Amino acid sequence: MCNEMTLYHFGNCIALVYVPYYLTYKYSGLSEYGAFWKCIQAGGIYIFTQLCKMLVLATFFDSDTLNGSGEGFSFLAELLKSSVNVADLLGFALILSRIPGKGHNKLITTGLGWAAAEVILSRGIMLWVGARGTEFSWVYILKCLESNVLLVQHITTATLMWLFSRHDLNKSLKPLVTILLALTIFKGVWLEGLLSVLTFGPWSTIAVKALIASIMGFMSLHVYTGLAQQIGI
Amino acid sequence: MFEDAENFADIFRGGLPYLLIALPVILICSANPVLASSEFSVQRMSQFDVNGVSYGCRASALSLEAKSLYTWSTGRHCVVAKLQDISIEQFREIRQKAGGLVILLPKNVSAMTFEEKEHLNLLEQSMLSQANSIPIYFSPYNEELERVISDVTRTSSINNDGKAQRSSAAAELFASISANGYQVIVSGASHTASKNSKIPIIQGELAATSKILKQVENGGEANSKLPLIIIAAHLNTFGLYNEYPLNADAAVLLTLADVFSKLHNTPNAVPKYRLLFLLTESGTLLNFQGVKKWLDENVQLQNVDFVLCLDTITQALNAEAGSLYMHVSKPPKEGTAMNEFFKLLKINAAQYENITVDGVHKKINLADQLVAWEHERFSMKRLPAFTISALKSPKEPIRSTIFKDSEERIIEQTRLHAKIIAESLAHYIYGIQEPSEIFADKLQIHHKMIKFYMQLKSALHNNDLKNAFEKYLKNVKIMYDKPDTRDPDFMLYDGQEARLNVYHVKPAVFDLFLTIIICAYLASVYFFIQYFPAMYDTVCKLTKAQTQVTQSNSNNTKSKLN
Repeated sequence: MCNEMTLYHFGNCIALVYVPYYLTYKYSGLSEYGAFWKCIQAGGIYIFTQLCKMLVLATFFDSDTLNGSGEGFSFLAELLKSSVNVADLLGFALILSRIPGKGHNKLITTGLGWAAAEVILSRGIMLWVGARGTEFSWVYILKCLESNVLLVQHITTATLMWLFSRHDLNKSLKPLVTILLALTIFKGVWLEGLLSVLTFGPWSTIAVKALIASIMGFMSLHVYTGLAQQIGI
Repeated sequence: MFEDAENFADIFRGGLPYLLIALPVILICSANPVLASSEFSVQRMSQFDVNGVSYGCRASALSLEAKSLYTWSTGRHCVVAKLQDISIEQFREIRQKAGGLVILLPKNVSAMTFEEKEHLNLLEQSMLSQANSIPIYFSPYNEELERVISDVTRTSSINNDGKAQRSSAAAELFASISANGYQVIVSGASHTASKNSKIPIIQGELAATSKILKQVENGGEANSKLPLIIIAAHLNTFGLYNEYPLNADAAVLLTLADVFSKLHNTPNAVPKYRLLFLLTESGTLLNFQGVKKWLDENVQLQNVDFVLCLDTITQALNAEAGSLYMHVSKPPKEGTAMNEFFKLLKINAAQYENITVDGVHKKINLADQLVAWEHERFSMKRLPAFTISALKSPKEPIRSTIFKDSEERIIEQTRLHAKIIAESLAHYIYGIQEPSEIFADKLQIHHKMIKFYMQLKSALHNNDLKNAFEKYLKNVKIMYDKPDTRDPDFMLYDGQEARLNVYHVKPAVFDLFLTIIICAYLASVYFFIQYFPAMYDTVCKLTKAQTQVTQSNSNNTKSKLN
């Protein structure tokens, strides 16, 4: 009996992780354009980027500095790790330049493909092993919610990257976009640092992350709409 | 496949048959992953058969929901509780109706009150007095399991309050959703009969050395014709669970062997007696099977003055100094060796802290399956035998207890009793009537000696016992009593060690509740995506308005400039 119940719980977690992705795909118009293969390609580039990042981390950084000094939040280690996240932006740029697409769809394809690849690779195994265990833990539900937040964040990053690459972007908005991109890269430093300083509980941590992701998303949406109207898409 | 797929759903349309086959296969192949939250090493309750009657715990498999003493109701619940909290009534109910029992042993038995110790003892006796069909496990004290127990008990008290109030169904539902459950799983235990169950019996003799032998021979007596005194004790290797209880009797036996061998090596002090030390690893619980076997093997015992059995020479719990008892099956007649020894014992005991010795007479009940005292086995073979014990009655639950008080008091008392017995025995051997201290100075019985001998383990585990016998005694023999294959007198069982996993689980209602919440959340995500174009338009208008404003502003400035 126990086994079925844990499988049911696993189903709950899976629904929580993947259904928002499916809904985004289905109702954002991507399904009508047959953008599935493009999403897969974006995912492929995600994997490639991660491999490059790992290579860089393993080559140039000492494992001791990366792991920090035991437990707790280590500022230097996080800063070093985050600096490699520049590669993520390059990955986004690569997807945006390589994948043909029209207007909004291009950005959603990029963000969704990227986030989906990440969620499958990083959460799939953990959920399969963890959420089906006899032991109940809130961790899995929290992780699932966090991956929802990541979807918003990655679509935002794709938008920002696209804006950054445009030459016809209003000059006064350029610094804002750059700052938002920098904030995205160094999220690991300032956000995690802030959260560890404030000693938030796991639930409020998720709430803060969701709040920040939506604020950044709204700001980029605001910039994007301006440019989109200007160039007429 | 991906190229052909027009949209996401196509993948599943094409792959659904495969998925339907693959998914169950994956599920079957991958065993349920075990992420142990808390793992404890536990001991299964002892299990043994004597004369075809089963005792102890007869089961081992356990995978049930943990409940407290007050909330369990069905055979699908495993009761998790502290030993001192269980009453005998509760235990009787649990052993009949519950699915299992996990007991947390007390942290420090010696710090408990007299009444609490008495309770432990009675509970222990009632557990061991019959066969229990449910699996029973004991865990040494640890804080984590105690937390689980208090958690289980606390949720139960909340539930009880809910029952008392019955105010709202919603509150009760919420309580059942938020309840923390625990799943108890035991792995690694079994309850199969041990293939090499055997009881070691070790004996050694203390006889006159050759020089003395000559003198005796001159007197016309062979060594074997010297009168024989048998000193018998037993070593308990298990009690309620598989651990050594206090073995004060074996310690006294070895101490006697130690000091008497020193006495035998003293020139001009060699007694005209043979002493035979007999240690069997079967106590009260195993019905002194070892002695039975030994008597069957040694039918022709001659010239036996008496057999001195030691049983619970010191109480492991609530030890009270002050009295020793000499148990006999037949009141000794005047002039017999036994009577003489009894008198000497009384005289000598009075010398040390005024200990009194009383004789207790109990007839052998042949109809009884279990032998009350070890000496009854000898008495049945018409050997003059008696038991010296600190207990007045053979039915005292303390006899087979596994719990111990703090060591110092026990050792001191054991030393005193060993001293009394040694002195009386020496007085008897040398025929001294007046009390005088023989074991003084070099022959002194030390605390260290007793402490060391108390730690000896079974001859099946190491050679310490054999070495100790060989050090002081001659003709050391070890024999093993193995159960008969067809009609076994006794049987021991394997699978005592096990691992207990306690998992934090939620009730089924909780998952259902979670599904509702997740569905609501997903619906909100759906509406958000549905209304995203509307939001986009609003933001568009906002930016348009702004750009218009900035444009009009710039136009204004331009016009002004113009």
